[in-house]
This record gives sequence, structure tokens and C-alpha cells, in this order.
Amino acid sequence: MTNPAIILDTVSLTLQSKAGPVNILHDVSLEVSAGETVGIVGPSGSGKSSLLMLMGALERVTSGRISAFGQDYGNLNEDGLAKFRRENMGIVFQSFHLIPTMTALENVAVPLELAGRADAFDAATEALGQVGLSGRLDHYPSQLSGGEQQRVALARATVPGPAILLADEPTGNLDGSTGALIIDLLFGLQGSSKATLLLVTHDEALAARCSRVVRMADGRIMSDERGSA
Amino acid sequence: MLAWKLARRELRGSLASFRVFLTCLAIGVATIAAVGSITSAINAGLAANGRALLGGDVELRLTHRFAGAEERAWLDAEVGAISEVVSFRGMIGAPSGERALAQIKGVDGPYPLIGTIELADGDVAEALAVRDGVFGAVVEQTMMDRLELSIGDALRLGTNDVELRGVITGEPDRQASGIGLGPRVMVSQEALEGAGLLQPGSLYRVAYRLVLAEGDTAERLRARLDEAFPDAGWRWRDLSDPSPGTSRIVERIGTFLVLVGLASLAVGGVGVSAATRGYLERKTETIGTLKALGASGGLTVAIYLIQIMLLTLMGIVIGLAIGAGVPLLLAPTLRDALPVPADFGVYPVALFEAAAYGLMTALLFGLWPLAMARETPVAVLFRDVVESGRRFPRPIYLLGLFALFAALVGVTVVFSGNVMLGGFFIGGLVAALLAFALVARIIRWFARGLGRRQKITRGRPALRLALSSIGGPGSETSGVMLSLGLGLTLLSTIGQIDANLRGLIAGDISESAPAFFYLDIPSPQKEAFVMAAKKDSAIDRVETAPMLRGRIVKINGEVADPEKIAPEARWMLRGDRGLTYSSTPPEGTTLTEGAWWPEDYTGKPLLSFIEEEGRQMGLKIGDTLTVNVLGRDLSAQIANFREVEWRRMGINFTLVVNPAALQGAPHSHIATVYAAEGEEGRLTRMFAEDFPSAVAIPVRDVIERTKTLIGQLADAVRGASLATILSGFIVLIGVTAAAQRRHLFEAAVLKTLGAEQGTLMRAAVLRYLFLGSAAAALAIGIGALAAWAVMTKVFEAEFAFAAGSALIVGVLGVLATLFTCGFFARRMVAVMPAQMLRARG
Ligand SMILES: Nc1ncnc2c1ncn2[C@@H]1O[C@H](COP(=O)(O)OP(=O)(O)O)[C@@H](O)[C@H]1O
Ligand SMILES: [Mg+2]
Repeated sequence: MTNPAIILDTVSLTLQSKAGPVNILHDVSLEVSAGETVGIVGPSGSGKSSLLMLMGALERVTSGRISAFGQDYGNLNEDGLAKFRRENMGIVFQSFHLIPTMTALENVAVPLELAGRADAFDAATEALGQVGLSGRLDHYPSQLSGGEQQRVALARATVPGPAILLADEPTGNLDGSTGALIIDLLFGLQGSSKATLLLVTHDEALAARCSRVVRMADGRIMSDERGSA
Repeated sequence: MLAWKLARRELRGSLASFRVFLTCLAIGVATIAAVGSITSAINAGLAANGRALLGGDVELRLTHRFAGAEERAWLDAEVGAISEVVSFRGMIGAPSGERALAQIKGVDGPYPLIGTIELADGDVAEALAVRDGVFGAVVEQTMMDRLELSIGDALRLGTNDVELRGVITGEPDRQASGIGLGPRVMVSQEALEGAGLLQPGSLYRVAYRLVLAEGDTAERLRARLDEAFPDAGWRWRDLSDPSPGTSRIVERIGTFLVLVGLASLAVGGVGVSAATRGYLERKTETIGTLKALGASGGLTVAIYLIQIMLLTLMGIVIGLAIGAGVPLLLAPTLRDALPVPADFGVYPVALFEAAAYGLMTALLFGLWPLAMARETPVAVLFRDVVESGRRFPRPIYLLGLFALFAALVGVTVVFSGNVMLGGFFIGGLVAALLAFALVARIIRWFARGLGRRQKITRGRPALRLALSSIGGPGSETSGVMLSLGLGLTLLSTIGQIDANLRGLIAGDISESAPAFFYLDIPSPQKEAFVMAAKKDSAIDRVETAPMLRGRIVKINGEVADPEKIAPEARWMLRGDRGLTYSSTPPEGTTLTEGAWWPEDYTGKPLLSFIEEEGRQMGLKIGDTLTVNVLGRDLSAQIANFREVEWRRMGINFTLVVNPAALQGAPHSHIATVYAAEGEEGRLTRMFAEDFPSAVAIPVRDVIERTKTLIGQLADAVRGASLATILSGFIVLIGVTAAAQRRHLFEAAVLKTLGAEQGTLMRAAVLRYLFLGSAAAALAIGIGALAAWAVMTKVFEAEFAFAAGSALIVGVLGVLATLFTCGFFARRMVAVMPAQMLRARG
């Protein structure tokens, strides 16, 4: 265990719903090393997405602590978290979450622009080339197929060179072969950048491509297997 | 019916998302219904009080003369009852020596035949009677105030004295006597005898109010009268239109305010359209499912059309309730404020008009998104994002839209009763809508282009975000531009016109305006009047002209029929026109065609006519006009046309003839007195002393009153446009709220990508600032254009851009958007990304 990338220390998450508070995660502890690839599997509703949201600092824990590269999320304010994400995280969602009013190129350039990179558009163009979308730079999301949108999202998440990649069922809305292409791209990008990857999926075969598999049920980690691949 | 059942099921629970739809529709309908109800109430009031307003069943009016013995005998024999009233302008002197212009009315014994003259205290017949050898007089409160009178004072009336005995509080036939320049003074006709006020050539009117004999009708009496006295020159008025001036003004203002209400509906239409589109977008999956389950495109449209119709009806009912209810609630206040009788109640026709406008607008604006929803492919269920192939609805719907629009134009023209006004207004509205839609497109295109210019956006992520949010697909740019823009345009137009009208009166006119017109200066006193004026140091200049009045009775030997000439010139034939003679062209006139007669010309009578009205009447050089002057017909040939600069406010006569043509006709003179401001009181007293019969019209007073009137009109219009501005603001909020879900989601994504709160806030402010100022700028431009058209074409004056009014519009536009922005952006900035991203799966 060298150089931990993310540490979760007895993390719990309770959300308010109309029917009252819902306990979504219970005392989850997890330590992920830099460069590791972790598959998170479990039945629907077991809390995988919630866990990923917390690790991506898109949500605050109800109790417990999360830190990444030694930075405790609890010590950062909203802007601090945004800055931290900008510098360290790339996140891919099941529903792509592209910004509909921006072209593919603009979508990919946004994180670089936010980071103040002068070469934002050049780098974005290159990143889109890497995912095979050189011919789609000026298309709006509504003019792209689901697979193409996810490739844009992938390029957007990876272009700043984040140390941590979070992917929440990136193939969930795609057909089989398109999904496979996305996964190959994801692992390819991870491999070249040596980023830490956390991949939520309910595809066991896909999870098996990771160096470590975490199984969840009812908001708890049930098992944590390493190096089976 | 299946569609009905499905529609009702769907609509349940989605009412909340139609708040903007309902509110906008209701506001527009309520405005039109309220205006219509008030107008109808006034018209009903006029009709119900027709006999009292007219003072009888029929009024016959003569100018400059009383009925001859033969005429009077005929009338006495033919009608049930008769009352003779003479009215004219004259000066009233107070014991203090102060003098004021009055609208004097001399009544006979039977007056009033119908209704009662109300005095603050006592009975009018008693008040006017002789007491201790002195006749009585009653006056309006304004006269009491102006001359600081008290009951019992001796009033100077020409060369007679009368005793002030009462204050008039109600005079039902006041309107019938014409809207006068001064307050009313009423005396008995005997009191006027020997006062030297009713001289040949001075302007007075004699009205004979008649009550029909048992079994007679107005038409039959008129026919018999025309047969007995074909050349008497009576002006006939009966109950079919007891107060034509008033009803015309009410009609005009009513029409205009309804159009302003229509503008508010148009803005509401933008809200209707946005709400319908938003609703249908949220129903995309449902529509796909319906289709997958075998529903035809037609059925889909039917289901949603029924829902839109139900909502429309709901909005209309709410609007009608408010529009009919508010005037009823305010009836006591309004009745006091209105100068005419009004019968407040529920007027179905007015409500129907409002409902028709509401229905057509809602359909017009709702049908497009509805027809587009029909094209939703079933595949929407299986793929995340689908572009429907069509950009336009099917031809049948386009046809429907066109028919609806044509119907709206038709209905507007019919209801407004004025093709020009209705047509221009709808045209202007459509043009403004199109302009804003077009500019919205240009702005989006421009924003996209600017966003690509990396030199501009590099290092300015907030600007980039703002630009792509404005320029990208599905942005609210059009909605914001239309809703905000139309409201601001109306405001801007009214502001510009108002400022220009005020400026026109305050500047051009009053600077060069004379202090007085003096009417009815007897010929023998003219020289003395001019001498007196020249001696006084406060008087800069005095101009005089012989003054007669004549009615155009024949054109080229044929009876002059108003129906045969252009409507805008008909008034030329309806009453007396000013007539003078002169050997040279009067000062300030320009001949546009023909030539002036030689100074010593004594041949066949020649005539000079004002150009514009002459053209409208279709007159040419060489045409012969026959003018009835004091009962005598004068035929003269048109020798020239002349242009009159009415803003000079000097003396303008429609007709000028060569001096020889009027040789021997009794006449008085009119004088225009130019004098320093503030000297009016002293000068009035001075002239009154030596020229008791001359009537002073204080021009500055009239200008002041006109300004007040314009101000009141502008306030009424502004009040009605409040509805439009309110609608605009609600639509703006609605459009923004509809876009809010998307902005919240975008903010969440951007935060995920590392955007800080400040960046997002700046982006939102920039976006709204940009849209707000663009809408305001365009509104100012269109408003100025519309105002220019109104000023130059309707008022034939110059247009000056009113920067102050424009500034207000600009500031309001920016404030409105910033307020909306502040209202929504806070949540956008505060949202935790997971909250939004989770909801989307
Ligand atoms: N906004 C929310 N409020 C309350 N409960 C939620 C909310 N979002 C998700 N949940 C619940 O939290 C649990 C975990 O959800 P999630 O993390 O999405 O699971 P997974 O991704 O494994 O399917 C589920 O039971 C879900 O119903
Ligand atoms: Mg999930």
C-alpha cells in the first residue's frame, strides 16, 4: 500500500426525502492507492453512485471524512472543492451530462478554460481527436449519438490530465458494442495517464478488468477483492 | 371520447406549470374586458340619459340668428313643447373689476323641458327671475373661484348688471351646448336684452329643444320641417346620437385602450407559447408512448389541443371575472371621476370581445408548438436524444395558423371600427414581434461567433459561459427578448410620444403663441382697439382681421353632401367655418397653387382655400363654392390654395375672399394680441372697460389646459399599458423559470468541471445584462420609430428623440433582467452538484 490517492474513513450519507431521512451509506471505509483501478459493483440502489458522488466531492458526507492526496474535503469550501476537482478529478456519468448549449469542442475546452489554460481549444481539439471525434468538433450534443456524446464526456473528463478518474456506469445508456468501445477508450486513457480509476458498473466482466473489485449492498461494502485479474 | 379522457387525465396535476399561461391570458383578457365594460357603461349612460343630455327629443340649432316669426309659428304649431336657448362666449365682470371669459347661456321660461338644472341651493327658475328690478344669474363653481364671487354679487354682463343667485351643480344638457372655453353662466333671455352682446355678426347659437307632439316621430318631423323650410340651415340632432362629440371621444379612447390591451395579450401570447412548448417538451416521453401504443398524430394533437383549450377557457374566465368585476367595484369612484353619465353593469358584448381576443391569441401562439409535438417520433423512447426532422408544422397547421391570424386581424378591425388604426396596430405589433424574434436570432448568432473568437474569450470563462448560454440551442434568448422587449417597446413608444407632444406644446407653440384672441370686436371699435393695444407697453404686436362665419352649402352648384367626400374632411361641411376677406395674402401663408387677386379687385367673387382640406375634399382651382354667410348665399370661385402653419397659432381662416365680395355684410373683428406673460389680468380689465362686448380668449390658459389633458390621456394609456408591462414581466419570469432547470443542471455540471461560484454568478449576470440591454436598445429604437410615425404622420409635427424617456426604458430593461437574474441565480450558485446530477440518473 503505497501513496494513497483517496481515503474514506467511516463515511455515512443520509439524504432528506419526502418520506423522511434516508440512510444511503453506512460507515463506509475505503483506501485507494494511486494508479489503482477499482471496479465498484452491486445491485441497483446499493449506493454506488452515492459513493462516487462523495469521492468526487459533489456531495458532502453526513459523517466521517474523505480526503484525496492528503486534502481533507471537509476543510474546503464550495469554491475550494471546485478548484480541487478542477485540478485532480475527471468524472464521467451514465447520462453523459454534456452542456447542451455548447459544441463538442466547447464542452471539452470548458475545464481547461476554467483552469485558465491558454491552449484550451488546441488541447480540446487534440483530445477529441484521441476519442475519434475530429469530425464532430462543432456539433452540439443534440446532434450527436449517445456513444459520441459519451466519447465527448470522456475527452472532457480526461483532457486536464486528472489524477483520479471517476466513472459511473459510463456504458449504462449505450448498446453493447458502443459500450465496449467506450470502455476500451477509458482504460486506454487511464493506462497512458496512470490515473487512479474508480469505475461503477454492474457488469461483472467489466469489473474484472480492474485491479480491484469492491462489492456493495444496502449502502455497505460487502467485499473488497484485489488482483484477481 | 378518448382524446377528452386522456387529456383530462394528463392535465390533472400539471396545472402548476401553467401559472404563467393562465396569468398572462387573464391579464390581457381582463384589460380588454375592463376597457370595454367602462366604454359600454359610458355609452349606455349617454343613451339612457339621451333626452336629458339633449334637453328634448330633438334639438334644432341655428347660428347667428334666432328663428324667424314664421319658423317659430310653424314650430309652435307642430311640436308638443319648445324651449329656446341662446349660447355664446362673453365676458363676465366681478364687483372687483376682474373679468373672465364665460360660456353664457340665455334660457327662456319653459327651459328645461327635460330634466332639472341642479343648484347648490334653491330652484333655477326662481334664481333667474327678476327681483327688485334685477335679473338673477347662476354660475359654475369654477367661475365662483376664478372671480372670487359670493352669492348676491352684482355681475357685469355686457352693459347690464345681474345678481349672482346660485351655483350650478348639475346641468344635464351641458354637453349638447358644446364643450366651451369658459365656465358656465346662466341667465334668462330677458336679462340679455339691451346688454349689447348679441349683435349681428357676433357668434352666437340658438338652440330649439323640442318635445315631439303626441304620435309624431323625429323622422316625420324632420321631413315636414325640411319641406316647410328647405333653406333654413337648421342643424338637426335627435336621440339617435344625443352627444356625438362625447360618444366619439369615448369611442376613440376606448378603441385605443383596447388595442393597448391587445398588446398585453400579444406579450401574454409569448408566455402561452413558451408554456405550451415547455409542457409538451416535458411530455415528450408520454407522446412517444402514446404513439407507440398506437395513437395517431391527429389524436396526439387532439389530446393536447383539448388541454390547451381547457386552460385557455380557464384563463379567459378568470380574466373576464376580473375585467367585469373591477369596473363594477370601482363604479362609485369612476362615476364621480367621469364627466359623463355612466351605467355600470355587465356588458356581454364587451366581454365577448375580450374573450374572442383571448381565445384567438392563445390558439395562435399555442398551435405552433402543438403542431410540432405531433412530429415527435416514437424513437424518442429508445434513444436519449432525437432531433425531429421537421422544422415547420405540417401545411394544414400552417394554414390553420394563417386563418387564425387573418381572423384576429379581421376581428380587430371590426371591433376597433377603424381599418387604419386596427390594421396599423396589428401590423406594428407583428412587425415588433418579428423584429424581436429576428434580433434574438442575430444575437444568438453573434454570441456564437463571439464565443468562437478565442482572443476575446481566452482567460474569461464567465464570458464564454454567458455567450454559449445565449447562443446555444434551446437558449431562452428569444423568450426573454420577446417578453421583455414588447413590454419595453410599448413603454418606450408612449414615452416618446408623450414627451414629444408636451415638447410641441411647451416649446414651439407657447413661445410664439399670442396672449389673447379677442373675438367679436364691433367694426366701429376696431381702430380704437388697435390704438389702445399699440399704446400699451406690455403689448408687442396686435393683428386684426374681419371675422365672419359661413357654412359651405354647395360645391359647383350641387348641395354639399358630407357623405360624398373623404371621411377625414367631412367636418369641413358639418358646421360653420371661419371666413374673412383680404386684399393681400394673410401673414404666414404660402400659396401652393394659383394666384392671389389684385389688391383692387372687384370682379366676380374669388376665394382662397386651405390646401390640405381642399385636397381631401377633392377641390380644384376654378371650382365654385357657395357659402352661407348670415343667411345669405355667397358663391365664389377658388382662385388659389394656401398652406397654413397651424403651429403659429395666429389667426387662420378656412376661407378668404376678396374684400368686394363681402361688401356690406355685417361683421365683427378678431384681434390677436401678443403680450408678455403675466400681463393677462391687467390687459383683460383694460380692454373690458372700453370694449365690453369683445371676448377675450386667454391662449396660455388654453395651452395649459391642453397640456393637462394630454397628460391625463397619457396617464390613461400608461395605465392600460401597465397590463402589458406586467404581462411582459410575468412572461420574463416564466421564461426564466422554465430555463431555470436547465441552468441549474448546467451549473451542476460546470461545478463538477471545477467552476467556482463567482464565475457562475458573473456568467449569469453577463448573460442577463446582455439580453436586457439588447431588448431595451431595440425597444427604444422601435419605440422611437413608432413615435416618429405618429408625430410626423398623425400630428404633422417634427419628431425629436426624447433621451430622458429612452434612458428610463433602458434602465428599466436592465433592472428587470437583473432582478430576475438575482432572483434565480442565487439558487443556481448555491446548488450542490449531486442534487441536480442525481435527479437526472
Ligand atoms: N435524492 C435522493 N434522496 C433520497 N434518496 C435517494 C436520493 N437519490 C438516491 N436515493 C436513494 O439512495 C440509494 C442509493 O442510490 P444510488 O447511490 O443511486 O445507488 P446505485 O447507484 O447503486 O444504484 C437508493 O436507495 C436511492 O433510492
Ligand atoms: Mg447508480
